[in-house]
Amino acid sequence: MYQDFIVQKWSIWPPLEGQESDSLAQNELLSFVPKMLKRRLSPLARIVFCAASQCIEEGTYLPAVFSSTHGELAKSFKMMEMIEQGEEISPTAFSLSVHNSIAGLFAMAYKNKQQCVVVAPGEEGLAAAFIEAIGLLQEGVDDVLMVLYDEPLEAFYPSSPYKLSMATSCALALRIGKKGFGTSLRLSMQSEVGDDGEQPLQVPLMIQFLAGKQEKLILQTPRHSWCWEKR
Amino acid sequence: MENELKQLIITSLDLEDMSVEDIDSQEALFNEGLGLDSIDALELGLAIRKKYDVRIDAEKDDVVKIFASVASLTEYIESEQAKDQ
Repeated sequence: MYQDFIVQKWSIWPPLEGQESDSLAQNELLSFVPKMLKRRLSPLARIVFCAASQCIEEGTYLPAVFSSTHGELAKSFKMMEMIEQGEEISPTAFSLSVHNSIAGLFAMAYKNKQQCVVVAPGEEGLAAAFIEAIGLLQEGVDDVLMVLYDEPLEAFYPSSPYKLSMATSCALALRIGKKGFGTSLRLSMQSEVGDDGEQPLQVPLMIQFLAGKQEKLILQTPRHSWCWEKR
Repeated sequence: MENELKQLIITSLDLEDMSVEDIDSQEALFNEGLGLDSIDALELGLAIRKKYDVRIDAEKDDVVKIFASVASLTEYIESEQAKDQ
């Protein structure tokens, strides 16, 4: 079993050759967001928007698949600390702490009324978002926007022996379709098992694969492997 | 008190690029005017409860009238505080 699709465009945030302060570039990419909405964007939401903005042309509205292992967990953690201290929690923080809150803000900021899915992929890693996006293509959608993002997991959470966090935040956006110019990829499942870690560890490997000459990317999970192959 | 309340609105609602002078005491806080939304109303209600120990009850009080402007909010807080004294 395999699935073919084309990566028409991809982008990341922060940039690979990032300077210490990307905040100017970030502000520029976010300049279209109304001020009253912008104040609601967390650092994670900002990098999602910055990565996605580079994959979308103005005035085009795409169905979207968001995927994040931890989402806005940092926000939930802060609220739990406040509860522990006996303080009342912020209704704004509460409303923006759920797993699909960034997707909701995205829909508002980009005026995107297309369907939208948010995945918490666990050990399947970034394959889960690809499967979801390919499913949308098979339903007849032309192009799909994918955004894969995570920030470092709060040190409070005991994660060992699972590999599920990186030291830095990163967002990778892709626009995939059945047709169009770009990189043709084939996704297939294979039987080898292993542990390449969850999505936060896989995203940098996917970026390397997309940016470089490497023909294949195989990511092993405890149940099977996923293979992305350039055609 | 009005200026103090304006400062509370700015800090509790993340309006850091605004200053007290930008908010007109008579101006509508929600929708047109300042452009706040329902989440802001909850957040501001919490901030007022913490700072002034005044509770605005959506069930009992005329929330629309109280939250109409900085002037109306000030009036309400001052009248509630006067009751306690």
